[in-house]
Amino acid sequence: MLFAATNIPYPSWLNTGDNTWQLVAATLVGLMSLPGLAVLYGGLVRKKWIVNTMLMCFAGFSLTLVVWMLWGYNMAFGTFSHFGPTGSFLGDFIGHFKPLSTAFDETGQAVSGANTLIPFHFPTATLAYFQFVFAAITPLLFLGGLVGRLKFKAWLLIVPLWITMVYCVNACLLWGGGYFAQKGAVDFSGGYVIHLSAGVAAFVGAAIVGPRRWQDRENAFPSNLMMVAVGIGIIWLGWNGFNGGDPFYAGADAAAAVLNTNVATAVGLLTWLFMDMFFSRQKKATFLGALNGILCGLVAITPSAGWVNGTGAILVGLISAAVVWVAWNYLSKIRPFSKVDDAMGVIYTHGIAGLLGGLMVGIFADPKMIEYGVAGKVYDAAGSFSVGGWFYNGHSFHQLWEQFIAGMWIIGFTAVATTIIFYLVKALVGLREDDETLAIGDIAIHEEEAFPEPTFGEPVLTPSHTHSDNK
Amino acid sequence: MKLVTAVIKPFKLDEVKVAVREVGVTGMTVSQVRGFGRTGGHIEIYRGKEYEFDFVDKLKVEIVTTDEMVDAVVDAVSHAARTDTVGDGMAWVTDIEHVVRIRTDERGPQAV
Repeated sequence: MLFAATNIPYPSWLNTGDNTWQLVAATLVGLMSLPGLAVLYGGLVRKKWIVNTMLMCFAGFSLTLVVWMLWGYNMAFGTFSHFGPTGSFLGDFIGHFKPLSTAFDETGQAVSGANTLIPFHFPTATLAYFQFVFAAITPLLFLGGLVGRLKFKAWLLIVPLWITMVYCVNACLLWGGGYFAQKGAVDFSGGYVIHLSAGVAAFVGAAIVGPRRWQDRENAFPSNLMMVAVGIGIIWLGWNGFNGGDPFYAGADAAAAVLNTNVATAVGLLTWLFMDMFFSRQKKATFLGALNGILCGLVAITPSAGWVNGTGAILVGLISAAVVWVAWNYLSKIRPFSKVDDAMGVIYTHGIAGLLGGLMVGIFADPKMIEYGVAGKVYDAAGSFSVGGWFYNGHSFHQLWEQFIAGMWIIGFTAVATTIIFYLVKALVGLREDDETLAIGDIAIHEEEAFPEPTFGEPVLTPSHTHSDNK
Repeated sequence: MKLVTAVIKPFKLDEVKVAVREVGVTGMTVSQVRGFGRTGGHIEIYRGKEYEFDFVDKLKVEIVTTDEMVDAVVDAVSHAARTDTVGDGMAWVTDIEHVVRIRTDERGPQAV
């Protein structure tokens, strides 16, 4: 150190580059929800559902943050509650139920079971906010399956319950250093914890809430494709923070994760585009098809963004978009998929793409992609972290198997817990608006509409025919 | 020849279309309109301020038909558009002086 420590207004463990990037990355991820998903969904629903859909996004984001401060962060990333012996599932699946409330809780150095190799170079507030924006986007993603009939009050209960009972458990197990993390399953930025889980919750939730009115399904015209473009553009570029922030150090792997994310997304878009042009019934490229391709690429590269090399990233984008395209066009005709009204198709672009992405870690992860730490003769002792998939680890299925087990857990646990939460909320306040309300939409529920046209002319205080000059 | 004009509730359009097709109507024109009748308007609230929306969204349906068919068409429209609640709208019939089918230049009733 050339400077005396007294001249530096930070604790010695803090690195300004790491802290800055982490806060910028977190903000980018937050923008994916607000306004990203709010205007994306607002543009995709019928005109009469815009206000309701956007308000659910904004309210869900706020609910998650309050839950996160009061208990969520510590349940997902704090020290384990130990309902069983250390190292067992019950011992290491959930943290303590306690708030982030003291000065030390926010400004002390961040620690997490996810990374025990090298200490974090930023405070807990940075990590907690970064992890919050991931938690917040998850219920907003599964909202896509429920729009157009879910009761607003039900949503206000579903979000805190789901974050507490589902998200915190899954995040703890895979990211908080919990059971599956100890077994070796990995999820770079949330292909499992966020996207697979959101896809399953959307599907199960949609099945329990029931379909939209048939008139709304029949006339499901998107209200505004330009807003869809704004939303998906913010989401794509916001993903630079989503995946670029997950090494937790503003180093080489953050840069690689950003580049990989974008190339996988571009390939995903083009794959869906070409499949639409050559294999769809209409043989035409469509904007909403490209939107699906973008989501497939983004979601599928998420579990592996900083662990695959450029070749892997391109293959991840290609495979995910191709498989999800087939599922979207053919699997959707088969039970139970044909029977459940998942309004935005979250089970495909998030559920299936997330599962594929999680499994592809076990195939394409390149151990030379060092997430953090420095590899090499001199530095190995300091510790470094990377993941090896089938192609690069002597054709071992070990990582793929761990990925498979964790994926099955996410599907099974999310489905069961979401079912319990939805039936509980149904008993408390009901899940569906009545048909009369559904026929009207925003005005009936909020007394607001997206494009109000109240009057043809200026209102007048005294009509001119009553004026004394005109008598 | 007659012009049947009806102002109806928007969600009843499909039923009206099917009903008039059944009595042999081959075409109609629809426009989005707003108006007030005996239905009260509704209130919307923006930033705490209440706004009265007294003009309600309606559809105006216009059908050109022959003297023989006009009663059947009016019946079809009014039965299909009925919900038995305030604001079901109104239909009226006016005489048409002359009709030209633009593509074929046919005139009079055969142009309908």
